Amino acid sequence: MAEVILEKVCKIYDGNVKAVDNVNLEIKDREFMVLVGPSGCGKSTTLRMIAGLEEISEGTVKIGERIVNDVPPKNRDIAMVFQNYALYPHMTVYDNMAFGLKLRKFKRSEIQQRVNEAAKLLGLTDYLQRLPKALSGGQRQRVALGRAIVRKPDVFLFDEPLSNLDAKMRVQMRAEISKLHSQLETTMIYVTHDQIEAMTMGDRICVMKDGIVQQVDTPLNIYDNPANMFVAGFIGTPPMNFFRGKLKVNGKGLTFAGKTFTLPIRTPEHREKLLPYKGRDVVFGIRPEDIDSERAKSTPEAPRISAKVEVVEPMGSETFVYLDTESETFTAKIDPHKPVKVGTEVSLPLDLKKAHIFTADDEKTVL
Amino acid sequence: MARRVKNRFTETCKHLFLWAIYICTFLPLYLMLVISLKDNQQFARNPWYPEAPFHWENFAVGWAHIGDKIFNTTFIAFTTTILAIAIAIIGAFFFARYKMPGSKFLFFIFVVLMMYPGVANMVPTFKLITSLHLYNSHLALIITGIASAQAFTIYVLRSFIEDIPQDLFDAVEIDGGSVMHQIWHMVIPMSMPIIGTLAILRIIEVWNNFVAPLLYLRDSKLQVIAVALLHLEGEYTKNWGELMAGYTIASIPLIIMFLFCMRLFVRGLSSGAVKG
Repeated sequence: MAEVILEKVCKIYDGNVKAVDNVNLEIKDREFMVLVGPSGCGKSTTLRMIAGLEEISEGTVKIGERIVNDVPPKNRDIAMVFQNYALYPHMTVYDNMAFGLKLRKFKRSEIQQRVNEAAKLLGLTDYLQRLPKALSGGQRQRVALGRAIVRKPDVFLFDEPLSNLDAKMRVQMRAEISKLHSQLETTMIYVTHDQIEAMTMGDRICVMKDGIVQQVDTPLNIYDNPANMFVAGFIGTPPMNFFRGKLKVNGKGLTFAGKTFTLPIRTPEHREKLLPYKGRDVVFGIRPEDIDSERAKSTPEAPRISAKVEVVEPMGSETFVYLDTESETFTAKIDPHKPVKVGTEVSLPLDLKKAHIFTADDEKTVL
Repeated sequence: MARRVKNRFTETCKHLFLWAIYICTFLPLYLMLVISLKDNQQFARNPWYPEAPFHWENFAVGWAHIGDKIFNTTFIAFTTTILAIAIAIIGAFFFARYKMPGSKFLFFIFVVLMMYPGVANMVPTFKLITSLHLYNSHLALIITGIASAQAFTIYVLRSFIEDIPQDLFDAVEIDGGSVMHQIWHMVIPMSMPIIGTLAILRIIEVWNNFVAPLLYLRDSKLQVIAVALLHLEGEYTKNWGELMAGYTIASIPLIIMFLFCMRLFVRGLSSGAVKG
């Protein structure tokens, strides 16, 4: 059993700086958990506390049944893959992978077997006698993976391992790590600032900001039901569009009154949820792909938003259009074959089924 | 055309300047070799150029004076160097990796000690050596040599160790290594160029050390090359050929060592770790 449980974990630096604030997180056995957030959000610090490389200021960390707060890293049965690979430059690939086992006084035959197995799994058999400087970035990262795999740990920790790779290599390594997870069936905790990595790799994602956990859920749930504006804006490319306005009650019932458009709230369940917030400043959020989507176009009563086209980015499979309403800018993801010219005025329908309403003051999701 | 002429002139001046430096550097060596094969009359007549007959017997006399001192000097130089660097690495590791109250001040003391002239320490160190009953033993030279090497060696190694990425230390820790494993398996191999440079500098310094052996060693059997060379100079006369032959013999081990370690030395210097 290798579940990892963090209870009220805090990291406080000198000068009362709270890098990690009261984190409660339960990572199940064999789960692939991704910690994602912007730089400085505390995700790496949290990972390092799990690894034992940072002291825990408050709270407890459990790996399996053990509280490991005072257990040194070498006794936590964890292996770590670093952003900068952290390969020993004077050792060959074989020696890099075998180093941890040699320190633990494994038999030579056992070391050889484990290293060869891991090398075969990662396609490194032909490179075992090379030094790290003779390897490409992707190969070095695989050696770092191999060094972790040979240890057969209870938990794998990844600290932004793909950040130093080019885009193509990143896509390839993402798939390899996901494949490894299926093959090894071990708990993996993965830190990244890239929300695409988070969405594609994690069984669950933990979104962090300023040392605080914002939301923990499956990628799809986080995408469809963000807990607050930060999560909504952080997850998804291009990010969600936000329109500030007020919830008003008039002759037509409850409406969202934005700066350049109004939205009547027609659904009874939505009206019930939003009525307590009438008269308050709120934020209307809608993803780019829900503007001018097929469903929006096929809904006659769908509200429309008019704006001027500022930039058109054809991506091949879709086109990103950046629009300006003179008071707000937003992005739409439209059909790549739809003709759109820069400088023209367009009117686009909105699919309200996937839209959200957030409170303006504490930015929490209401709808 | 004018630009090509100007470039040629500039290049010529540069080459002349370099040649001047080469000549100044190698002239003493050249003269030492030339004079080592002369007697006093040949030297008085013409110290600059080789002249037959060549007096190879000068080398026999030189060897008789310093031959047995080579072992002493080699033993003291290498023992001092190895132990000095081994101890300094641990100190440098501490200063590079650990921040505790007073560590900055302690390091500042080390920097100040680097500027402190060793000769000013002579009397108190001599008293210490005699009270420890180490007078007239190689241990006196080794211990004082190790102690005097610490400040500079720690200063240089510390900045080198600070440049090693934190991730590597973390990786050793995760792999199950202790602090000594970090030093032995990672810091030392990665610091080889600078360790080699410091070792060479230290060996040369101990090899050429004159004052300390003169001070602490009484028996001529224990003496080192630098002091033994002194006895080649007579009270009233100086046999230049024998003297230069002695110097040549004394230089050979260092030249051989430097030739073997030149690449390491240059790599260490160019790694930016040795400043000034």
